Amino acid sequence: MAEPLIRIENVVKQYTRDTQVLTVLDGLSLEVEKGDFVALMGPSGSGKTTLLNLIAGIDRPTSGRILVGADEVSAMSEGALARWRSENVGFIFQLYNLVPVLTAFENVELPLLLTRLSKAERKKQAETALAVVALSDRLDHYPRQLSGGQEQRVAIARAIATDPALLVADEPTGDLDSKSGEEILVLLERLHSEFGKTIVMVTHDPKAAARAHRLVHLDKGVLKEDVRAKGEKGEIGVAAAAAIAAGR
Amino acid sequence: MKLLPLVLKNLLRKKTRSLLTIGSIVLPLFVICILGTLLRALDADPSGGKGMYRLIVRHKVSITNWLPGAYDPKIRSLPGVVETLRMNWFGGSYIDQSAKNQFARFSTSDADRLMKVFDEAKIVEGSEADWVNDRSGLLVGGQLMKRFGWKLGQKVAFKGDIYPITLELTVRAVFSAADESGVYFHHQAVEEALPRVKGYVGWYWLKTDSLAASERVPKQIDAMFENSSYPTRSETEKEFQAMWVSMLGNVKLLVGSITTIIAIVILLIAANTMAMAARERVTEIAVLRVLGFSKEKILGLVLGESFALSLFGGLLGLGLFILILPGFREGLANSPMGSFAAGIKLFPEVLLLGFGVTLAVGLLAGLVPAIRSAARPITDGLRQVA
Repeated sequence: MAEPLIRIENVVKQYTRDTQVLTVLDGLSLEVEKGDFVALMGPSGSGKTTLLNLIAGIDRPTSGRILVGADEVSAMSEGALARWRSENVGFIFQLYNLVPVLTAFENVELPLLLTRLSKAERKKQAETALAVVALSDRLDHYPRQLSGGQEQRVAIARAIATDPALLVADEPTGDLDSKSGEEILVLLERLHSEFGKTIVMVTHDPKAAARAHRLVHLDKGVLKEDVRAKGEKGEIGVAAAAAIAAGR
Repeated sequence: MKLLPLVLKNLLRKKTRSLLTIGSIVLPLFVICILGTLLRALDADPSGGKGMYRLIVRHKVSITNWLPGAYDPKIRSLPGVVETLRMNWFGGSYIDQSAKNQFARFSTSDADRLMKVFDEAKIVEGSEADWVNDRSGLLVGGQLMKRFGWKLGQKVAFKGDIYPITLELTVRAVFSAADESGVYFHHQAVEEALPRVKGYVGWYWLKTDSLAASERVPKQIDAMFENSSYPTRSETEKEFQAMWVSMLGNVKLLVGSITTIIAIVILLIAANTMAMAARERVTEIAVLRVLGFSKEKILGLVLGESFALSLFGGLLGLGLFILILPGFREGLANSPMGSFAAGIKLFPEVLLLGFGVTLAVGLLAGLVPAIRSAARPITDGLRQVA
């Protein structure tokens, strides 16, 4: 058994709307091993995205602890958390969220501007990240000049530009056609298998979840099912993912 | 500095809006600087400090009341008085009463002393002797010579209104000074044509030998004539100028209020642009924070954009002002308000005021959107995607 990269200990997340307290995560505990590829599934409102945001350090739990490596993310100050995110997490959004006035290269360079790298080093690193996603010929293209799939590949290049150990993806294929979605899943698999990235991905799509090596099913803020693929490099498989997603 | 390209690219995101906002800063800032210059010019001393050694003695009731010319030897004998000059406002008209032919017309009973009292002025054409020795001679400011295209030896006629006479004078000399918008001629020419005014003057202009004398002598003169039929009011040249300014009403308050209102309007326009820019980018700012941008960096980015917007507009406005000011001064000098042009120049404090307004607009317009952008929880910002 590999060492856990992420440890979620009895996490509760509540939101207050007017006078009503809404419990989104209810005493959730979970460990994600280093180098794992986890799909988070569950119906809308089950707490998947909230859990992802907590793991990525962009939200805080109401109670409980979240540790990523040796860092207790849930106890960090705002400033420390921002620094930690820039060094340790790459975030991939459903709607890519590229900055429209920046070229593909400049978008990928954005997180590197927070580092102490020189201009030449930043250039090298951004170009390498864009080469990994096979977009070396689109460096000077603006997001409006790219297809949805290409935009998502730029967003992935941005997520890996600082070489973080952890990638979190929120419905990365949710806004793409099936062909582009497939390309993105292949790319995520490659980042996992070739580059050893730990990936936590929220998805509704059984096809996307099928590429993961572990499937965590949430419902009403609690862990309903936790399925691991058989074999060292195995995948969940579409049928199993679909069955879990359907709650069977 | 690494984030400056991002600030500038954000500024150009909505080019038309940014250009309109910059334009709405350029023109009002130009107006602020012009108004500031006019305000400053009212307090300016075109004599370059020499005016501190000059005093004006006029009738206690009003400048329109005459004083006896016989006061001259008594005033002249006071310790600290170096020179005296008896002056009159002739007024009247040149050609006609139209605005383009308006300028100041003075007569003096002491032509030989004029250049001694106004020793910062220089004769640049003709000679002082030519003017002093010709009772119908005319001394003309360089600006006015240029304005009317007069030449030395040219005959110029002034039709009086206070004095019901017409004087035909000859241009004998041209002077250069801060205020070149007037003419001077011999009061004897007026007295010869109108004997009943003989022995009276409009006011005295004195030169003193020290600042202490400039302070002491006015009191002595006023005390000397206090119980006469023609009591005096004596003051420094600066106080005399301030009296004219005060006759314009509370012009400083008026101009100051207009300047403040213009500055507030610029601020509101720039603040509206920044508020819109920040509102359109709520998600984008949340994404930047996900990437690791701290609250302080977001604050800096939005404020930086606000400052860049304001600086572009402000510096263009100041540049326009610097470019146009000489022409403005020239235009004013050639107008009926020509004497106001004397005090107009590029005042560093006006440039500082313009730059200060620019910085204040940059800071205040961006502050609220910047704080809101930085303080908004990341998850709230991301939720706006959906």
